[in-house]
Amino acid sequence: MKLITHNMLTSKCLKGVVTGYPLAINATDIKVKEVDFNPEFISRVIPKLDWEVLWVAADSIGHSDGLPRSLENKYDENEEFLKKAHKVLLEVEVEEGHLTCPESGRQFPISKGIPNMLLNEAEVQ
Amino acid sequence: MEDDRKHEKKRKRFAARLNTLKGIVCYEDPRPNVILCNVGQATGFDKQKLMKLLTEYKVNTPLPKFVAEKGESYSYLMFDKAENASLFYEACNGKAQVDENGTTLYVTFVENVPDTDIICKHPNPKGLHIIPDFLTEDEEKLFLNTFNIQHVETTLKNRQVKHYGYEFRYGSNDVDLSCPLQEKIPKICKLLWRRLQHYGYDLGVPVQLTVNKYLPGQGIPSHVDKHSPFGETILALSLGSNVVMDWKHHTGKYVPVMVEARSMMIMQDEARYDWQHGIQPRMWDPVLDVRLIDNEKVKVITSDTVQREMRISLTFRWTRCGPCKCEYKMLCDSIERNIPETISNDVASNIEDIHVHQVYEQIAGHFSTTRHKPWPKVVDFMQHVPAGSIVLDLGCGNGKNILNRTDILQVAGERSSGLLEECKGLTARISGADCIRLDLLNTGLKDECADFIICVAVVHHFSTQARRLHSLQTIHRLLRTNGQALITVWAKDQTKSSYLSRTRAPLLDRHKLTVGGIHLPVHENRTQFQHKDLLVPWNLRSKAPPLQQPDTTFLRYYHVFDEGELDQLCRDARLAIVRSFYEEGNWCVVCMKV
Repeated sequence: MKLITHNMLTSKCLKGVVTGYPLAINATDIKVKEVDFNPEFISRVIPKLDWEVLWVAADSIGHSDGLPRSLENKYDENEEFLKKAHKVLLEVEVEEGHLTCPESGRQFPISKGIPNMLLNEAEVQ
Repeated sequence: MEDDRKHEKKRKRFAARLNTLKGIVCYEDPRPNVILCNVGQATGFDKQKLMKLLTEYKVNTPLPKFVAEKGESYSYLMFDKAENASLFYEACNGKAQVDENGTTLYVTFVENVPDTDIICKHPNPKGLHIIPDFLTEDEEKLFLNTFNIQHVETTLKNRQVKHYGYEFRYGSNDVDLSCPLQEKIPKICKLLWRRLQHYGYDLGVPVQLTVNKYLPGQGIPSHVDKHSPFGETILALSLGSNVVMDWKHHTGKYVPVMVEARSMMIMQDEARYDWQHGIQPRMWDPVLDVRLIDNEKVKVITSDTVQREMRISLTFRWTRCGPCKCEYKMLCDSIERNIPETISNDVASNIEDIHVHQVYEQIAGHFSTTRHKPWPKVVDFMQHVPAGSIVLDLGCGNGKNILNRTDILQVAGERSSGLLEECKGLTARISGADCIRLDLLNTGLKDECADFIICVAVVHHFSTQARRLHSLQTIHRLLRTNGQALITVWAKDQTKSSYLSRTRAPLLDRHKLTVGGIHLPVHENRTQFQHKDLLVPWNLRSKAPPLQQPDTTFLRYYHVFDEGELDQLCRDARLAIVRSFYEEGNWCVVCMKV
C-alpha cells in the first residue's frame, strides 16, 4: 500500500462510524521501491489529496524527513520538494501491518502490500 | 527375425511419438520403471488385465505398481528394481498380446512416473456413519437372494430399481402417501433394526425401501434425498461389491468415501441434508488410502484401482408430511421460492458468495492466464484521461486494464484475493498503480476521490436489482463532479458477438441448480442466453493428475442485461449517460456525475 492510496481510504461504511478518517497505520514491514518520477503528475495530484493526512501518515511510519507539514506556495515549481513528495506518495510501501479505524478500532490487515478493506454484511450501516 | 525387426521399429516409433506429443523421455537401458506404450486407461487396459498378462507371460517379479492416467493410451509399471523391470521387458515387449484382436504390447524404460495420488483435505461429512461388517457373509447371501432383482421392475438409465412400502416417484423425488404399495418391506430386514439398536441407533422401523442394482459401469448422479418427504435419517445397506461414493458440499468440498459390501451407512444431519452424494458410472474405483501427513491422518486417492462387481444397495427411508424443518437451507426444498428480483439481501449475498467470490478464488490462476490485453474500449476511454487524474478500476481482476502510465494514479480494487495478487504482480512496476481489496457495495474509499472510474464486467455478478443499483450508487459516490465512468456488463443478446458457437445449439434447461431455494438454470457455454439470471460454467484447466479428479467445473452467477437496462440503472443512480453502446456481447455505458 502506497501512502497516496492510504490518503483515500476510510472506514465510514462501518455501522456507527461517522467519518472513519484517516485510518491509523501500523506497519511491521515497509519497503521503498524506486519508480519513475513524473513531476507533472505529482504537482497535479497534490491538490486532490489531504496533505496534512499524508504528512501524519508518513511521520507515523518514520518517512516524514524533510517533508513540510503544510504545503508551501508555488510548491509545483520546487523540484526538490516534488521529488520528496514523489518518494513519500509512490515509493514508500507498507508491505505488512494493519490500518485502524479511528472511531471503532476495527483493524484492516495489510498483507503482501494489499490492504484488505472487506467488511462483513453485519458490520455495515 | 524379420518380425523382431518390425517390432523394434514399431516400438521406437511409439517411443518417439511419446516424446514429441507428451514430452516423455524413453530409455534403452533398464530402469525400475517402464512405460506400456500402447495400452492405458483409454484403451480399456486396467489392473485386472495387467494381472492376467503377468501370469500368462510368467513374470515372476514382486507385483509392480500400475499407474494409468485418465484418458491416456499408455500406462506405467513401477518395479522394485531395474532387473525385474528387465525381466518383464524381455517377457512381454513385442510378444504379449493385450487384447482379443491380438494387439502386440510395446514396452520401453522411463525414469519418472507421474505422481497421480490426490490428497483429500476434507474430513467425511458430519452425520455420516458407516458400520463395516454389519452383515455376516451368510446373511449377505440371504439378502442377495431376496433382493437380486431379476426381472426389471423399473428401468432407469443407469441401474435397476424396485420399491417396497411406497413407490419412489422419480419426477418429484417423493412418495405418494395415499398410495402405499401392496409389497411391504420384507421381514428379513427385521434383524437390521435390532442390530442398529445394538450399535446405539434407536431409530424405529422405516416404511419405505428402494433397492438399487448396479452392474459394473453403472452409477447414480449426485443428489440429496429430497428433504420434505423423508425423515431425518436415511439408511443404506450395501451388498455384493465395495464402491467409492462421492460426497460434494455446496461450498466446493469433495470427499470420496469407501462404502464396503455388508456395511450399513447411516446418513443424518449434514450428511443427510447439506451434502450431495453419488456414484460415478465406471468399471473400477480408485483405492483410497490413509496416510500420516504432518501428524494428521489424511485420505489419499491413489492411482491404484479395483474392479467393481455387481452391487445391490438397500435404501431405507421414513416418510413425513409438511415443510421440512431442517436447519440446512442450501439444498432444502421447503425454502420459499421467489424470483431473484425479490429475494432477501442475505440470500443474494449467499448466492454471490458461493457462485461469484468463491469461484473466482478457485479459478483465479487459470482465469488470469486467459486475460492478457487491456480491452480496446478501455484504452479508448483512458486516452481522454488527463495527467494528474485519479482513476479507480473497480473489479480490476488480474489488472489487465491497468495501463503503463506514470502521469495518472490507477487504484485497482478487487474482491478476489487470488486475482488481486496476480494484479499486484502485473502492476508492480507501474509507478502510479496500487491495489486494494474491496467490494463495490461497501467500498472503503472516500467520497468524490476519483476523476475517472472503470468498472468492467462486474455489475452483472450482483444478484438483485437493489444490489446492482447500490453498486452504481457507489460509483456515483466515489466520482468527483463531472467525473466519468465506463461501465460494461454482459448482454443477454449474444447474436452480434463471437461468443456464440456455430455448431452448438442451446439445450433448453439442461439442468437447474437450487441455491438457497432459488432455482438457477445452468447455461450451456457458447450458446444464446435463455434466461436473465443464470449460472455459467467455468471449466478449470488444472495441472493436477487427471485420474479421479474432483469436479473442475465451477458455476458463476450472472445477471445478463437487456438493451437499455444498464442505461436505466445508471439514471436511477443519478449518473448521466454520455454514450452507450454494444460491443462484442457487452452493453457499455460512459456516464458522468453532474
